[in-house]
Amino acid sequence: MSARDTILATLRRNSPDPAAHPLPEPALLGESDASPERFTTNLIPMGGTMLDRRPDETLDQAIARRFPKPGLMICSLVPEATGTVQIEDLPTPQAAEPVDVTIVRAAFGIAETGSIFLSEAQLHLNALAHLTQHMVVLLDPAQITANMHTAYLRPELHTARYGVLMSGPSATADIQGVLIRGAQGVRSLSVCFTPR
Amino acid sequence: MKEKPINHAGAAATFIADKPHLDFHDARLWDMRQKRDAQMHLLPEWQELRSRASAIKEHALANLADYLEEFERNAKRNGIHVHWAADGTEHNRIVAEILAARGARTLIKSKSMVTEECDLRSYLAARGVTVTETDLGERIQQLDDQLPSHIVVPSVHKLTEDVARIFARHYGTDPNADDPHQLAEAQRLAARPVILHADAGMTGGNFFVAETGTFVVCTNEGNADLSATVPGVHIATIGIERVVPRMADLGVFIRLLSRSALGSPITQYTSHFRGPQDGSEMHVILVDNGRSARLGMDDFWTSLKCIRCGACMNTCPVYRRSGGLSYGAVYSGPIGAIIDPTFNERKYSTLPYASTLNGSCTNVCPVKINIHEQLFKWRQVLVEHHQMPFVKREIMHMAGKLMGQPKLYRAAIAGTETALGTLPRFALYNWLNPWGKNRELPEPVTETFHSWYRRNRPAAKPGKLDIAENTP
Repeated sequence: MSARDTILATLRRNSPDPAAHPLPEPALLGESDASPERFTTNLIPMGGTMLDRRPDETLDQAIARRFPKPGLMICSLVPEATGTVQIEDLPTPQAAEPVDVTIVRAAFGIAETGSIFLSEAQLHLNALAHLTQHMVVLLDPAQITANMHTAYLRPELHTARYGVLMSGPSATADIQGVLIRGAQGVRSLSVCFTPR
Repeated sequence: MKEKPINHAGAAATFIADKPHLDFHDARLWDMRQKRDAQMHLLPEWQELRSRASAIKEHALANLADYLEEFERNAKRNGIHVHWAADGTEHNRIVAEILAARGARTLIKSKSMVTEECDLRSYLAARGVTVTETDLGERIQQLDDQLPSHIVVPSVHKLTEDVARIFARHYGTDPNADDPHQLAEAQRLAARPVILHADAGMTGGNFFVAETGTFVVCTNEGNADLSATVPGVHIATIGIERVVPRMADLGVFIRLLSRSALGSPITQYTSHFRGPQDGSEMHVILVDNGRSARLGMDDFWTSLKCIRCGACMNTCPVYRRSGGLSYGAVYSGPIGAIIDPTFNERKYSTLPYASTLNGSCTNVCPVKINIHEQLFKWRQVLVEHHQMPFVKREIMHMAGKLMGQPKLYRAAIAGTETALGTLPRFALYNWLNPWGKNRELPEPVTETFHSWYRRNRPAAKPGKLDIAENTP
């Protein structure tokens, strides 16, 4: 018998009585506030920031003020910002390694945790989200869902082949418990509310 | 071959003797426990989340074969190769075959307790494959050739100076570096080129979903997503018990996992893999390694509900003061003490005793595993199977005889009180009395309860006391 058949047969022989363990109906629990204010409040403790964009500023200008160092490689995946390199010019993950800043639009956000959702539909090159040093995320306030329960009703989580909820930048506390923002993935994650 | 039981108490004694490490370890884990409590208090629905998580897991385990088949069907439809491994050796062989078929010589991987169970790294090293752990804590443990000491924070027993010493040896950094930021940056810089040029990537999986064929990886550092998306091959190793029926169930578990583990509302990355990215391949290896047998153990099958958050370890006074390595097993702490004996009953026969049975582990468990009751149950099983140290066995044997005979018991108690008052220390504190190693024996009393009772309640007949009357 194959390992598969052996495992399944053993499980069927050893399983507790299924009738004694019914599956509860899914429920939407907890706070249902889906406001941008709640999103922002919960993004900050995760280490994320809101991009400071003045009313008279273009997105490019706000990003230039946030990342003032000259000569940065900026990849924009959105029409609202120009950037210095096109995603078409990054055919492989290895080519994406020198990217400093990536600008991308999230499919949706989660107010409970300040998370944003990205998939291959937004990223085109999934590795870019993790190789880039910094990330600026555009989020339509109308696309904020209240919590993790409502998030899993979103169609994107059922259809994307790769779908990541990023909640602030990468982080670690593996050395003597000291929290470090910017571990191995993005060093910073800034969100900018931008209606579509 | 008979393996010697792990000397947990001996290893714990060594750990306790090192005060700086002990103090940090104890405080760090208790801080995680307190952060978990703070998160719990923010959610009025916390207990309902726990009840639901427990019910969903019990349902999934009671129908595990069906859900595994459903997952396999959907994952295959999405283009994922699904493999089945009965044990660690089979798992390792499958990984080696996937790598060999693609001529892959370098593998980057994120943290996975199942691959630790299977001892994958040494298997692949013997076959010429270079395996690099990319999680910071796991990498530290790999470089130091130690097992992870905690399932969420693998190097929590180390101080900054320990990491500085290890990184100096392997990365050429300053051996006196005392800033964790500097050391974490060294890891980032060392890992990047390895990640960029790796032939294959590997992750574990926290959950997988039967309904959609998705698996989910919850991490903080970004290394798992790098390992999954940069190389052209992604292999995910997952224990068969990690299945949930529906996408909607993930809402319950994601809300509980990081809050229970680190006291953060969610991990920085919650990544859903439903199929390979363009031009890449994706493999899932479903690992049994004793789980299907454990499902048939009436008293212990619910340990399979575990989502590996580590909350039971953070709260456990014994774990916090003995360190994960003292358990001598892949899984340490309270959860380790109830699942390790299913892997090797003799070797891990001492671990269910590494507990005061205070029940805190059960109280914090997000999926409501009755951990402390299983610890107690394991002690009974081990006694029945004669897996008990000689002194403990003889003492229990004598105590059993004594307590079964009231007259003999009373005579012994009277004798004990005399002995406590008169015997020299060397007669009271020795290898026959492990309890007295770190504790003072009680002061002798002038009168036993029994003689007091006889004196004050002359009418009552001993043995016919209605103790239930005064019991709340």
